[in-house]
Amino acid sequence: MSAVRGLNGAGPQSEAPPQATPEFYRPAISYDEMLTPDGGVRPNYAALHARLSTLNPSDLAERQRTLEQSFLLQGITFTVYGAENTTERIIPTDLLPRIIPAAEWARIEAGLIQRLRALNAFLADIYSDRQILQDGVVPRELVLGAPSYRREMIGLYVPHNAYVNVCGSDLIRGQDGEFAVLEDNLRVPSGVSYMLANRDAAKRTFPGTYRTAGVRPVERYPDLLLATLKSMAAELRANPQVVVLTPGVYNSAYYEHAYLARLMGVPLVEGRDLVVLDNMVYMRTTQGLRRVDVIYRRVDDDFIDPLTFRRDSGLGAAGLFNAYRAGNVVIANAPGTGVADDKAVYAYVPEIIRYYLGEDAILPNIETYLCREPAQLSHVLANLDKLVVKAVGASGGYGMLVGPHASAREREAFAEQLRADPANYIAQPTIQLSTAPCLVDGRIEPRHIDLRPFILSAEQTIVTPGALTRVALRRGSLVVNSSQGGGSKDTWVLWDDEAQP
Amino acid sequence: MMLARVADSLYWIGRYVERAEHVSRLSDIMLSATLDQNEAAINVAHVALAAVGEEEDDKTGRATLEAVHDLIFDREDAGSVVNSLARGRENARQVRDQITTEMWERLNLLYLRVTGPDAEHAFTQRSSSFLHEIIADLHLFMGATDATMSHGEGWRFLLLGVHLERAQLIARLLEVCFGEAEGRLPLADHLTQMSVLRMACALEPYLRVYTAELEPKHLLEFLMFDQEFPRSIRYATLRMEEHLTSLARHTEHPAHSGPERLAGRLSSRLEFADMEEQQGAGPLLTAVVAECSRIHHAIYETFVAYPLEQRLPA
Repeated sequence: MSAVRGLNGAGPQSEAPPQATPEFYRPAISYDEMLTPDGGVRPNYAALHARLSTLNPSDLAERQRTLEQSFLLQGITFTVYGAENTTERIIPTDLLPRIIPAAEWARIEAGLIQRLRALNAFLADIYSDRQILQDGVVPRELVLGAPSYRREMIGLYVPHNAYVNVCGSDLIRGQDGEFAVLEDNLRVPSGVSYMLANRDAAKRTFPGTYRTAGVRPVERYPDLLLATLKSMAAELRANPQVVVLTPGVYNSAYYEHAYLARLMGVPLVEGRDLVVLDNMVYMRTTQGLRRVDVIYRRVDDDFIDPLTFRRDSGLGAAGLFNAYRAGNVVIANAPGTGVADDKAVYAYVPEIIRYYLGEDAILPNIETYLCREPAQLSHVLANLDKLVVKAVGASGGYGMLVGPHASAREREAFAEQLRADPANYIAQPTIQLSTAPCLVDGRIEPRHIDLRPFILSAEQTIVTPGALTRVALRRGSLVVNSSQGGGSKDTWVLWDDEAQP
Repeated sequence: MMLARVADSLYWIGRYVERAEHVSRLSDIMLSATLDQNEAAINVAHVALAAVGEEEDDKTGRATLEAVHDLIFDREDAGSVVNSLARGRENARQVRDQITTEMWERLNLLYLRVTGPDAEHAFTQRSSSFLHEIIADLHLFMGATDATMSHGEGWRFLLLGVHLERAQLIARLLEVCFGEAEGRLPLADHLTQMSVLRMACALEPYLRVYTAELEPKHLLEFLMFDQEFPRSIRYATLRMEEHLTSLARHTEHPAHSGPERLAGRLSSRLEFADMEEQQGAGPLLTAVVAECSRIHHAIYETFVAYPLEQRLPA
């Protein structure tokens, strides 16, 4: 996932206060989730807005402290390893929920289901007949040449053609107020535990507002996840044994792995707990070895099996992939899904949807220039000061140029790299993310946000009515990544837009 | 049925929690005894330090407060309270899905307080209440374990760790006063006797049985053989035997050399021991420490690190 979501294109005029805003909150020029440009309160925020205007800053600060304390107590932390000592920090969590109206959500939900159906069909195709490549809809070498394309997966049977069982797409809302997909996370998406923990906290912080607003519950996620995983092994055994595979306690998402295992009531295993004998996967229990049927792995492809993928991996189990190939165990998500969320393949997703489903994409893409195409490359080179350029294979903000924030020298250096290996880069316009009210140092201020909903897919495709809303906590920043000082907040999806007071 | 690694972690949570409590209590008693500046007070400090395996010359010339500070905070010392809590909590984090939220929150909160930036200051300001709170929090943890965790396999592994550690710690404490080794510290005076009882958290239960007429012989008898006092060696051994018998019921190991047999043997030995006939308690105490360590290895070989070929499912 990329660290920078676009750029702060706001000029000096953004400092001018909009008219008729209530005095406790003044958004800048971006699309604001709570207030309309003329300062009116959007109906979905009516209940929260009314509550906020009755609370004074010290009330809010007190609630924020209580919230942070409860996260620390629960151990919802990530570990920061320093030279001297190791500390644990909570992921900054904002008190004020982000609220999405029912009608908007219906469109998001339909768009996400459509997109994941098409991407699963795409994966099934490129690992079997490759019809879409033969028809020239997606360039052959773009798929077959990607490091995330796993030849080992060719011709394997995947129940329901559900290669991606758990998806966490990143959506953003631009200046025009429309949602668009920024990234499809089809490998090992994380963050769902924060969605659930934030909800838990928000219900305790704003119980009255929660009740008045009419919010759809997210608490079914763990049992729906379990049902999704079990349905992948329905042909294997009547009551399949599901496990969660974690890289271990030192992984930054370990809290989430333990949390999901606990709420699903299934064992949390590490690679060293698994043994493969005669293409069967077992876990070492106190009473000997026990069969494992479904592995919800939170370990990247590269590390799941040292015999098939990276030899130096100690996180997986030797022989696991052969057991998978023999059809004796289900790995979810399937290996090799990363090829479909590649940044270059991303540009073709609207085409992919049309190809398999005969429909137009409900949720648009962000306009993307593929530097592999000479015409697009020259456009990118001419507009480097306006664009964000990303390396196709990289993530986490590496190998990336944010044109408007870079110096002329940096741009020139990057242009060299671009010309040397254009196929490795894509470019996108800078997007002004929408803002939502957040509590910062005891004041309510606008901060840029994105949206990560979670989609489950096996026999059925289900979108949990909620999401992780990630927040760029620094003023004006568009960086929502938690390693870059980003935080998160609860996301309320309303039952009914008419029910507002 | 549970993961072998998980069983191992639960067992170690029990051991670390028990160790942290014991060292905290010894420290507290050392500090309060040395408020009296006399010979007996120095003796108490020696007993306590010897019971946790500190070399005496190590600490000569050092103020008790400083020695206690190290017992609590020294990261270099594997047995320090901070280390025990950090490791216990790290094990809890590794099996977070297997213990209850109530247990986790107790242990996590205690860990955060003892390792927090204010901890050493709080200790310097009010050492006794600092230590007292650690002990009380650990009791809350054990209470939460009893009240919220299913009393099944995982709970038994945790309590197995508690009781094995407890039997060993009490045996070591008694070895200091009744052992065969040279330089043992006899329970000559009233303050030392009281203090040893308090180190085993046994003063009040002892008084109910033997009244305030303290006798080294009775003290030894109580801490070794009492069937009802939860910190006597006998009691801890009986619980170990009970948990191991239950745990071994589901384990089809071929050679019946399991840890439950070792625990049963130790517990019979304690049941039929006759102190009058023997040369004193020394050999028996040494045997308790050695047997506990054999049981520990047997637990590991039976439940955790067994050979795979023998343990395929039927």
